Amino acid sequence: MTQFLRKNLILILTLAAFLAVFIAAGQGMERKDFVITLLRGLSVGSLTFLVASGFSLIFGLLDVLNLAHGTLFMIGAYLGWTVYVRPDTFVDVLTPLALLIGGFTLSALWTKLSALLPASARTNKIFPWALLLVAALLAFTVITRYPISSWDTENFSQAPGSYSLMLDQGAPLAPPAVSFDKINPALALLGLLLASSLGAFGLSLFGQQTQSPKLTVKEFIPFGLLALIGFGAFAANDALTAFLTGLSNNWLFLIALLVATLSGIGLGALMESTLIRPLYSRPIYQLMLTLGMSAIGIEVVRAIWGRPEFVMPKPDIFSGSGQGCPATTLAAWWDKNCSIVLLFEGRVRVYNEIFIPLVGILVLIAVWILLQRTRLGMVIRAGVQDREMVEALGINVRRVFTLVFALGVGLAALGGILAAPSMGLSNAMGESLLLNALIALAIGGLTSYPGAALGSLLVGLLQQFMIKYGQIGIAIPFTEIIFKPTPPIVPASTVLLMVIILLLMPNGLLGKKE
Amino acid sequence: MDYILDVQSIHTFIGQYHILQGVDVQVPRGSITALLGRNGAGKTTTLKSILGLTPPREGKVTFDGRELNGMRSFDIAALGIGFVPEHRAIFRDLSVEENLKIAERRKGDLDRKREMIFSLFPDLKRLIGLPGTSLSGGQQQMLAIARALVPDNRLLLIDEPSEGLAPVIIEHMMDAIRQLSKESTVVLVEQNFLVASQLAETYVIIEEGRSVTSGKMSDLKQDKATIHRYLGAA
Repeated sequence: MTQFLRKNLILILTLAAFLAVFIAAGQGMERKDFVITLLRGLSVGSLTFLVASGFSLIFGLLDVLNLAHGTLFMIGAYLGWTVYVRPDTFVDVLTPLALLIGGFTLSALWTKLSALLPASARTNKIFPWALLLVAALLAFTVITRYPISSWDTENFSQAPGSYSLMLDQGAPLAPPAVSFDKINPALALLGLLLASSLGAFGLSLFGQQTQSPKLTVKEFIPFGLLALIGFGAFAANDALTAFLTGLSNNWLFLIALLVATLSGIGLGALMESTLIRPLYSRPIYQLMLTLGMSAIGIEVVRAIWGRPEFVMPKPDIFSGSGQGCPATTLAAWWDKNCSIVLLFEGRVRVYNEIFIPLVGILVLIAVWILLQRTRLGMVIRAGVQDREMVEALGINVRRVFTLVFALGVGLAALGGILAAPSMGLSNAMGESLLLNALIALAIGGLTSYPGAALGSLLVGLLQQFMIKYGQIGIAIPFTEIIFKPTPPIVPASTVLLMVIILLLMPNGLLGKKE
Repeated sequence: MDYILDVQSIHTFIGQYHILQGVDVQVPRGSITALLGRNGAGKTTTLKSILGLTPPREGKVTFDGRELNGMRSFDIAALGIGFVPEHRAIFRDLSVEENLKIAERRKGDLDRKREMIFSLFPDLKRLIGLPGTSLSGGQQQMLAIARALVPDNRLLLIDEPSEGLAPVIIEHMMDAIRQLSKESTVVLVEQNFLVASQLAETYVIIEEGRSVTSGKMSDLKQDKATIHRYLGAA
């Protein structure tokens, strides 16, 4: 016990100092302000945590500083928004997307087939590139003619923001009708499958065919699923759209959360296996790659959803008002679904200040269980320390890398869609969160999972208390001076905290000594 | 002669350095073979080259009739090769139990081997719930060897098992290695010639990245000149 105290003396003193400052901060304001500020801190902390935890898992295991993490957070928000506000667009996109990905899941088949090619074609360097080019041209030709009901960023009355706004006001805009007038439907589907197959076949020719994989039914399962989604969404397009539009927007929001998270996972897996993997031996290139991906991601989002910021309406369960609101008891809230509840006389926004922290805590626990109680978690924890040894035990670390990268991006995407109804959607929403997350990780310890949680919490609380004190001012003891932190002090305060912590504990609060 | 492992003139580069410049190792099935040589001679790199952790650029490695060149290291290990690295590489964030459990290749490996492991290393039984960090050097070495025993390995590569251990513990560990060599073949890298000469039946001496001589340990013990030339005063 005493040994534990001595070992962790600085940590304990630091945490005690935080607690003291925290209590002191509570003394300087009314109780209702304190409660609200605390909850807002938790909310910002939760969003920060969703970015920071994935970032830290990826860095810990893969040694990849994924600077695109903030952009992926933002992409998660925009994808979720699309499902929530424009389910018809979501259904329209499913078919081409599933069919385009489909061919790539059949890598075993392509490798097998490429063995049948004459040797000259296999060693030819130009052939695979030619295949890829044909595939890309074909995909482009079909996609640009494929009917997808969308929005028009150039035309204000049909801009994403307008759809959002009108939905929020209960008078949703009718989406433009589209039909197969530029391309024959059968031709379109065939073209997409062909493009995807040609592309995947071309890619498979780049690899070395040292051993040919076994073709089992298992290899075809992902393709089967994607084909089912693709053709299903094509055949039942109208029915599916009607079903989603008819759903209560609470369910739709849940679906949006799921779709955003799953897309994040898919995007992460794709990014790791195609772009990051070839660069494990060249960390600097990797850093430049993720930075470049970040910039590209932002431009893609600008091209599709436009530059202007827009809001995302909250689901009904968090947006009730009128008689009986703000609610004072849980039962009253459940009855009216008030957007605001009174807690210690403070007006607390249910979505922003209660729902987001709840999801944050749920994710914290879920990932903790994954790390501590499953074999995958065990391999991750071991791999963070010594990848080579894990590999020497006969474990396919590459696959674990892909899984962890996918999981990390999935968490960021979940954070994005979770943040969208409270922060709104903007091209820059990921950048501030990534910065927050980096500071939180420096404070908590770069590769420590509890550290990511603690750091995020501290950053969130500090920011929100600074903002609140910016409004009410801090009475400096023994003087008449009232100090009001100005807005620039808010971000500066977290950096200052980071500097202090790093001077005291260079590995962060819960980081391990290397 | 039946060799379970046959390494034929491998050349391994680490970065731009040509570390192994022709190493041959033949390991008879069921034996203990010692790789001897001075510090930095390339003994550890030889083990890592066999496992594909530092893949050889030239030469051939055959394990039980199967060529390992070009295979990924986790596939090589999964063929039935256990590795006990130089600094034990116990996972700090895992408990002793988890450190064993992670080595499972099939579900239930650990439960099948538990009795055998505890009879070799009785100490581990009472340490099983502790975090991997709280073990002493000797206990960590036991755990590292035990970890290699969890799956059914036909070959164990053990790097410097006696390094940094007290004499009493070295005795104990040598007993354990003798015991487990009844089940599988062992390749040992050992600086301590006394330990190596008592354990091993055959030896290979590596000098500046080349295997220079090999044979029966009983012959080497008589050959003071060779010992002096390649291993220094022993």
